[in-house]
Amino acid sequence: MSEPSIPLRNPYQAAFLAWLCPGLGHFYQGRTGKGCLYAICILALYFMGFAMGEGKIVYWRWVSPLSDPEKFSVYYLGQFFVGLPALPAMIQGTLQYFDPTASILWGFMSPPDQNILNGLHRRLGKLVEVGTIYTTVAGLLNVLAIYDAYEGPAYDALDDEESATEETVEVSGLKAEGQA
Amino acid sequence: MIFGAAQFQVYWFVPPLVVAISLVYSASRHEAWSRIWHHAFKLCYWIIGILILTTAFLLLVNTQV
Repeated sequence: MSEPSIPLRNPYQAAFLAWLCPGLGHFYQGRTGKGCLYAICILALYFMGFAMGEGKIVYWRWVSPLSDPEKFSVYYLGQFFVGLPALPAMIQGTLQYFDPTASILWGFMSPPDQNILNGLHRRLGKLVEVGTIYTTVAGLLNVLAIYDAYEGPAYDALDDEESATEETVEVSGLKAEGQA
Repeated sequence: MIFGAAQFQVYWFVPPLVVAISLVYSASRHEAWSRIWHHAFKLCYWIIGILILTTAFLLLVNTQV
């Protein structure tokens, strides 16, 4: 890949910030517009989904997906990439792994019991599924944003070339008008 | 409860998802805003088109069986 023409500052730091909060890495690089776009799209999707599931659909349990696939929360693998908004689930899951009675923040985002999840599905129906999809897709979209913060846009050079061509056409058009 | 569970069409939740996916994907490809909007619009159009065609096909199959 060619060298990006936009200053990416420290790409590792930018990527970390982009994971921590969607758009933050781009603000750090001075790409404010793109930072706003990522933050609005990803966080709106995440929080809408989170509200649909009444805050009980983002959770993590330290269990093996092979020995206990029922309890393994596969969606969190995507949700994790939203960063800070999904991080309490990882902290609660880790605390409960060491001490099943332990929880902080009044159990906010701690892994819910199966009967609570069943009740949620009965009461809210498809909203739980839609909410899970929203939060997971938000995390996966932030992977694109993280990569963009780290590497820069894919077609940056091509954009430059095309805009340069457009400018040349405009300038030659103006010159032709001037000569006429 | 913010989203009333009683009566809702699940299809209303598709457009925000498609718009967000199109915008974020396009923004990760380009740096120029004109290109981002153009690419996002095209992608949105394609995704919704494919979803409509797939739904129509599945409905057709479903009513024939």
